[in-house]
Amino acid sequence: MFDLINEILQTLRNNKLRTALTGFSVAWGIFMLIVLLGMGNGVTNSFMEHAMSPGSQKIDIWGGRTSRPYQGYREGRRIILKSGDIDKIEEEHKSFTSDATSTIYGNSTTFKAGRNSITQSYTGVFPSEIEMSGGNKQMIKGRFINDNDMKSCAKVIVLPDRFEKQLFDNEESLGKIVSINGLAFKVIGVYTARWGRETYIPFTTARLLTGNADNLGSISVILKDLKTEEDGKAAEKDLRQTLAAAHDFNPEDQSAVWIWNQFADGMKGLAAMSILNTSIWILGLLTLLSGIVGISNIMFVSVKERTHEIGIRRAIGARPLSILTQIITESIAITTLFGYIGIFFGTITTEILNSVFGDTDFISNPRVSMSVAVQVTVVLIISGALAGLFPALKALKVKPVEALRDE
Amino acid sequence: MISLRDVNKTYPGIVPLHVLKGINLEISKGELVSIMGASGSGKSTLLNILGILDNYDSGEYWLNGTLIKDLSENKSAEYRNRMIGFVFQSFNLINYKNAVENVALPLFYQGISRRKRNNLAMEQLDRLGLSDRAHHLPGELSGGQKQRVAIARALVTQPSIILADEPTGALDSTTSREVMELFKDLNRRDGMTTIIVTHDPNVGEQTDRIIRISDGIIR
Repeated sequence: MFDLINEILQTLRNNKLRTALTGFSVAWGIFMLIVLLGMGNGVTNSFMEHAMSPGSQKIDIWGGRTSRPYQGYREGRRIILKSGDIDKIEEEHKSFTSDATSTIYGNSTTFKAGRNSITQSYTGVFPSEIEMSGGNKQMIKGRFINDNDMKSCAKVIVLPDRFEKQLFDNEESLGKIVSINGLAFKVIGVYTARWGRETYIPFTTARLLTGNADNLGSISVILKDLKTEEDGKAAEKDLRQTLAAAHDFNPEDQSAVWIWNQFADGMKGLAAMSILNTSIWILGLLTLLSGIVGISNIMFVSVKERTHEIGIRRAIGARPLSILTQIITESIAITTLFGYIGIFFGTITTEILNSVFGDTDFISNPRVSMSVAVQVTVVLIISGALAGLFPALKALKVKPVEALRDE
Repeated sequence: MISLRDVNKTYPGIVPLHVLKGINLEISKGELVSIMGASGSGKSTLLNILGILDNYDSGEYWLNGTLIKDLSENKSAEYRNRMIGFVFQSFNLINYKNAVENVALPLFYQGISRRKRNNLAMEQLDRLGLSDRAHHLPGELSGGQKQRVAIARALVTQPSIILADEPTGALDSTTSREVMELFKDLNRRDGMTTIIVTHDPNVGEQTDRIIRISDGIIR
């Protein structure tokens, strides 16, 4: 081992400038690979946080207008979703529906608590709303709306933490009363969120408040047990079929109801992410290739300069294999050394990027994991071995008789 | 110790060159012989064959009871390492390794541990009176010292024969004499079989026997 380090230092010392330039190209290749992978990871992580949360196990449906005549109805008829549709979906599609919910958005109104007041709108939701936020919204005290609230059309409210602060001046809010349009709502919970600040009341209560007994703006279907994009597409088609039967429109009519298939979109996004990752690897490896050619070149020169020395070694008993091993190990050591310099600076750069962009929506945690470091190490060792292979084969051709030639 | 029977060697080419034309040679254990001849006489080719650095076409070469013929690269490397100690005209030390490391290098190729081979190398250097120069690089040594380091390297594997190619060729007359004394001393004291290839008659005279070669034939 000590001998090897000695040999390598000697090779490097003999070709300082060439070593520096070549080393730079390897370090640069790895640096680019690490930074690109880091950025790629950032984009992927951000995507995962938004799309791979339970929120994306979801299909949203809005009522639209028919674009084709069907069963005696003319085109252009408005389709309004009904609360009965929720029950139909849950009954007919038990296989992939874990829950079907809807939301009612109230108008802007005044919320009062004691002397404080804010202008806000309420949002009528199902109990599963908080879980569907995918970790974005988290209860910090009390509880969320439950099935009993739904059944009894309870006048309860869940506040975001910043409204709690504004309404209650940092005093305990649980169990206190907020009055909305003169109606008293009891605070049952407070949540915190990275984005969004809806005040939640039970869906059924909101329906009473709006006085609109049966019409729904939208329906959200929470999916389960779906794996591929195709599964998602099939589920979408089934849902359209059910609604077509309920509202008498052509199941092929795309505009009768608008469907946002977040699950299928998410799967599509995932596939795109994996393509992104692959492209980054290809780009990085191509950048690295120029470095490998450089290392190969420096090893060729080293072998040429040391022809006489190799001859001496052969004369005093070095086997061809030990010469081969020596050259390849040297090449791997040089490649790995400069590669790690690249990894070092690449990691520092991704850390800087993380502190600058880490909290934005597009890039989240743009860093590389241990597994990438291991993969890159393997890449470096293979590259080094490849770079050293041809020079080593050339070194093998050196005959021991070379030792007898005068320098 | 060494027995060559009708050894022939031809270098192929447009005009094939028949350099060794049936060499017969016997060298017994403990002999100190010199091989002399003009350039182009086949002297170097004979040295290469004796040193297992080159193949021959026909005949037989027995070294210490082993037939040296058509060996694989690995086998010939092993035989060179264990049976032959080379001493070269231009010393052929590795210039970025110090004296001990140079002497220990053949043992490295035998897979001997670093500590053990450095001990053995120090022992050899000590015997040749170079222990105070052990950690110097070849560049920091005089010609005579370099050649003694090279001789220590040849001896460290305890070979069957020492094969020296113009060992005094790069040395002044005083150091030449010292180096020759060393060879004679090693031969007398340890009975080391030594073959010195030279064109210098003064060197030849100091050996037990002079083998003269010209036009590929021993005269």
